[in-house]
Amino acid sequence: MTSSDQVNRLLALVPYLSAHPDADLVTTASVFGVSADQLLADLNVLWYCGLPGGMPGDLIEVDMEAVADSGRIRLSNADYLTRPTRFSPDEATSLMVALRAVREIASGEVAAGIESALAKLEQAAGTAAPPPLSVAVAGGSADVRSELAAAIEAGTVVELDYTDAGLAPSTPQVLPVKLIVRDGIAYLQAWSLDRAAWRTYRLERISQLRTTEASTLPVGEPPEFGPGWLEQLPDAARVGLKLRPAAAWIAEYYPTQQVRRLQRYLEVDLLVADPAWLNSLLLRLGPDVLAVEPPQAAAGARAAALDALSAYGAE
Amino acid sequence: MSPRKSERILNLAICLLMARRFIEKSQIRQIVEGYHDLSDVAFERTFERDKDELRAMGVAVETGSNNPLFPDDVGYRIRRDDFELPPIEFSAAEAAALGLAASVWESATQADQTVSALAKLRAAGIDPDPSRVAALAPSIGAKEPAFAAIWEATLVRMPIRFSYRGAQRRVEPWAMTYRNGAWYLHGRDRDKGAPRMFKIARVEGQAVKEGRPGSYQVPEVDLDAAWARIGSGPQDLEAVLAIRAGRGGQLRRNATALPGEAAPEGYQAMAVRYARRPELVAEICAHGADVLVLRPLALRRAVISQLKAVVGRSA
Repeated sequence: MTSSDQVNRLLALVPYLSAHPDADLVTTASVFGVSADQLLADLNVLWYCGLPGGMPGDLIEVDMEAVADSGRIRLSNADYLTRPTRFSPDEATSLMVALRAVREIASGEVAAGIESALAKLEQAAGTAAPPPLSVAVAGGSADVRSELAAAIEAGTVVELDYTDAGLAPSTPQVLPVKLIVRDGIAYLQAWSLDRAAWRTYRLERISQLRTTEASTLPVGEPPEFGPGWLEQLPDAARVGLKLRPAAAWIAEYYPTQQVRRLQRYLEVDLLVADPAWLNSLLLRLGPDVLAVEPPQAAAGARAAALDALSAYGAE
Repeated sequence: MSPRKSERILNLAICLLMARRFIEKSQIRQIVEGYHDLSDVAFERTFERDKDELRAMGVAVETGSNNPLFPDDVGYRIRRDDFELPPIEFSAAEAAALGLAASVWESATQADQTVSALAKLRAAGIDPDPSRVAALAPSIGAKEPAFAAIWEATLVRMPIRFSYRGAQRRVEPWAMTYRNGAWYLHGRDRDKGAPRMFKIARVEGQAVKEGRPGSYQVPEVDLDAAWARIGSGPQDLEAVLAIRAGRGGQLRRNATALPGEAAPEGYQAMAVRYARRPELVAEICAHGADVLVLRPLALRRAVISQLKAVVGRSA
């Protein structure tokens, strides 16, 4: 952290504390994204700041005893800093890009709210207004998103028309709880009534849904779907692929464990939670796959290819 | 971060903000705590740096003269209108969306900037409260090693140079876009004299400065159109596929049914448009026996040949 960061924070902290008399130290620290110790250090800097001249009455006053005794911050003698400073370009841009990411999975009133909030922020940013920056998330249809949002709000069970990674259609009955995004792809996190477990469904692969009845299922909180969620799946298996350079793109598109680029080919380790997904990947890559380790991991794709060849007849 | 330095810069900001006229450097040196004990050279250097730091955080330090007859007698001030965040208000729905923005960025730098922007809004009396939209959890990554430098250059309109697919590229960054979970830079390639799109993950090593910030103009950019140009091109080819009932996923969704066309038992004939054969072959093969090619013959042969490769490889 630099002095610039600190001064930038102090210039917002002063009006914040004026607007929130008796603010709690810990709450305030979390608003500014710093530790309570850092906030104390900030207050100690403020203590030496104020109007030029440096006479006792010129300085900003912070009741450090109250902070030490009760964790409450009382600040006075700073009437000339009642509003925060303008956004820096980085602040305005980071905030607006984040909002655009929210818009990608929002619907209805929230989506409309984001549009209008973005317009207001753009105006407030003035010369710090961001360069063109866009965010696109594979979020499926807006109708599906808004129906899911309504079902989450109402706590109703829905039946999805779903095509899974192995391309098989199904109609799972689920209690939807959350729309999440990982690596540019939006998912529905839901309690599956059929499996009696938490499952995620790619929004793009939900073609439509039907609402059934309100649920009384006490399902609790869904598991964290953070980076590395695939590793947490108990039955994910490691599969190694030896690939022609033409298939190098898969390292950018799928969660790979390790990529080794060699002279004439590359080796990629994948975590595979769903054998059907691996089958369709191997079929898709065709001759660009030079070897699969363990070899039996390729058996499913081979059987599917034989099946397809027989459907074409003897050619 | 030194507390003395933060105190000095904050005191300088308050001094310039409270000034009714431009204040000359010599006067600033006398009245702002932290400057008097410095030698002439050290004062000049420190004052210049402090001013730059304020400007970098978006505080407009104005230079000018109080005396039209002696315009060389320069002084400094900060106009309150340029300094303060303009009046801004948000509806409940807008504030809810703003609250969600805090948790979108997976990259620490942009997450900090977003929190800092939101803290300024809180200091202006706004309460971004995400609890109303707790069912949404969007995210954006920025794992690309060159991301930070390119983001910074795009914000300040600074030309950069980087190695890309083995060649040096000199680029004026115009815009950035996040698609399929990856960041892209759109800008003018100085050597090609034309706009280009770069996948930031493919930038080898770091992007380095190639000119001054603000040294070029960014034209109106249509990112969607630029994106479409690097895509697969116009879909001016047509294939007729046989797709099993209920199967085919995305292929089926983009296809048109051909009710009069003969198809094998259990299949439906459907027409799809496409741009390039290899992508369609891969997509069709991924569906195994669920999707067969009826025509054109060249596509049918390519699919059969890829299926044979899948069978042959694991044999």
